[in-house]
Amino acid sequence: MTRVEIDGVERAYGAVKVLKGIHLDIEPGEFVVLLGPSGCGKSTLLASIAGLDPVQGGEIRFDGRDVARDEPSDREIGMVFQSYALYPTMTVRKNMSFALRVAGMAKPEIDERVNWAAGVLQIEPLLERKPAALSGGQRQRVAIGRALVRKAKVFLFDEPLSNLDAKLRGEMRAEIKALHEKLQTTFIYVTHDQIEAMTLATRIAVMSGGEIQQFGTPDEIYRFPQTRFVADFIGAPSMNFVDAVLRVEGGRASLEMGQVRVELDDYAFAAPPRDGQPVIFGTRPERITLQGDPSPGAIPARVTGVEPMGADTLVWLDTDGHRWSARVSPEEANALGREVHARPDPQGISLFEPESERRL
Amino acid sequence: MKDQNAIAMAAIYAFLAIAAAFFAIPLIIMLLTSFKTAEEVREGSIFFLPESWSLAAWGKAWGEACIGRVCEGIGGNFWNSVLITVLATSISLLLASLNGFALAQWRLRMSGPILGMLLIGAFIPYQIMIYPLVRLFATGGMHQTLGAIVTVHVLFGLPILTLIFRNFYIGLPEELIKAARVDGAGFFQIYGMIIVPMSVNVFLVAAILSITGVWNDYLLGLIFAGPNFQPMTVSLQNLVGTQMGLPEYNVNMAATILTALPPLAVYLLSGKYFVRGVTAGAVKG
Ligand SMILES: Nc1ncnc2c1ncn2[C@@H]1O[C@H](COP(=O)(O)OP(=O)(O)OP(=O)(O)O)[C@@H](O)[C@H]1O
Ligand SMILES: [Mg+2]
Repeated sequence: MTRVEIDGVERAYGAVKVLKGIHLDIEPGEFVVLLGPSGCGKSTLLASIAGLDPVQGGEIRFDGRDVARDEPSDREIGMVFQSYALYPTMTVRKNMSFALRVAGMAKPEIDERVNWAAGVLQIEPLLERKPAALSGGQRQRVAIGRALVRKAKVFLFDEPLSNLDAKLRGEMRAEIKALHEKLQTTFIYVTHDQIEAMTLATRIAVMSGGEIQQFGTPDEIYRFPQTRFVADFIGAPSMNFVDAVLRVEGGRASLEMGQVRVELDDYAFAAPPRDGQPVIFGTRPERITLQGDPSPGAIPARVTGVEPMGADTLVWLDTDGHRWSARVSPEEANALGREVHARPDPQGISLFEPESERRL
Repeated sequence: MKDQNAIAMAAIYAFLAIAAAFFAIPLIIMLLTSFKTAEEVREGSIFFLPESWSLAAWGKAWGEACIGRVCEGIGGNFWNSVLITVLATSISLLLASLNGFALAQWRLRMSGPILGMLLIGAFIPYQIMIYPLVRLFATGGMHQTLGAIVTVHVLFGLPILTLIFRNFYIGLPEELIKAARVDGAGFFQIYGMIIVPMSVNVFLVAAILSITGVWNDYLLGLIFAGPNFQPMTVSLQNLVGTQMGLPEYNVNMAATILTALPPLAVYLLSGKYFVRGVTAGAVKG
């Protein structure tokens, strides 16, 4: 179990800053997922942790030891790549033992470790095959096995499941989670798949444009997004937004959107609210109830589309020019007319400051 | 429809047969002539089959034919050529594959300019470098030695061979090398344990190019090899070009075929690999 501290790591390609001073403090044995849109620097950060990509500033500490200038092999890491990167001319056994052979380990110990890893991953019958004779899922298992035999202190995964079909991806996801529980090693895992991030992570680091937007548990990230970007990026469909104005009267805060007022008695403000302050109001689709009749706190809307998803139904709305979505039960959806009123759940509100786009 | 196809196929085969015959006729005449006796060559037409098949001309060409005053044939020069070809080819392959790998996969700062220079090196005629090289070797005291001729062949072979390797290695996934680095392998371990086993086909293609190029060379051998390591092509020219008395066509033909045999054999034996190597780059595995 290793604590990984990333302290102000910077990386630029020419004038383009790809990592702009990243700070992350990863507890021993954590499963941290780096999540973000394509090109935000996830792979670059992972490569920096691995030592494959030189950093230009900052420190990377494993259990307090700065490894930022060490070779990958001196960092005691295991890494699994998106393309598996198995050595095509070697059998599975040779692939898995490669690192140990390079390190000059004695044959009996190599065999013992390979057999142990093959047992953990249930790939014993494949040991004498070449990678070309394996399915995608089997290849990925071998790639994990290659990291496993080295008894690495930190496991790094760069989108390991994105080449697999949906069903296999689900299975491998569960296996990776089980592996983490079994090994209790620190895992750092890159993906742009939200479901993977939510299901696997002990904590998620949401990245955008070379910066960490928020680092927290999946629940915190989902329910209390710290920036508008996180609120927008996490969740499918994403959060509904509308511009609003804060009102504070007699110590009670409320939100004014045109004619509609929403009480904010339950909202935990980070800083005391000011009367007349402009804000961005956000609410998730499943935190909206739709009703036919107007009522205080309900926003008038027009139904523009209905998408039955089986368990629930997605209703697309037009609220005075904003495209919103609401997730309701199929029965509720059937009962709807064309004009409805959308009532946000006071418990599920997020407010953002329009300039900085940070949570209020 | 079927008939038309058959006719078209027949036409294609007829054309191919004629084309093949056209290219094969000189070779056939050489072969026929080399099996004739000296009298038969003088009297008969070149298209006739030999009356009595005789290997005398072959034996003479190999071990007895006179070049100037020395009557030792060109057999000894065959082994010179073998030595030069084996040395030059193995050294160039090793260097070219290492260079190609470094250029393609090891983020070198100057790989762009180096590549440009290689391209220039591959396409400018090597004749313009002969004189400077002669001066260089003479100054270094190794003019007309085995070292000189091998060095020259390696130098002139490197650009194109390096490009061949580099173009193959550029297609290898970058993550493969990264994985090997994480596994603790250094440059030469990655090269030897992962890259070389993956590029057997490219080695074969490059070897074929190098072997035929070095073996068939005449000019460089003439200038740089010197008398002790004179390659077969040079001695063949001496044999055929400067004959005293009546020309012995049968011996000349036998000597020519002997000289041409090794590259021919390389193509015939490796044809399958040659094609496979050429297409290997196109198929992603
Ligand atoms: N060798 C390079 N030269 C210049 N820019 C690069 C280089 N490698 C990456 N970049 C840039 O760095 C940024 C981050 O790349 P990175 O591969 O880390 O993204 P990512 O978050 O992993 O994206 P993805 O989800 O698509 O894999 C991208 O904008 C990319 O264009
Ligand atoms: Mg990436």
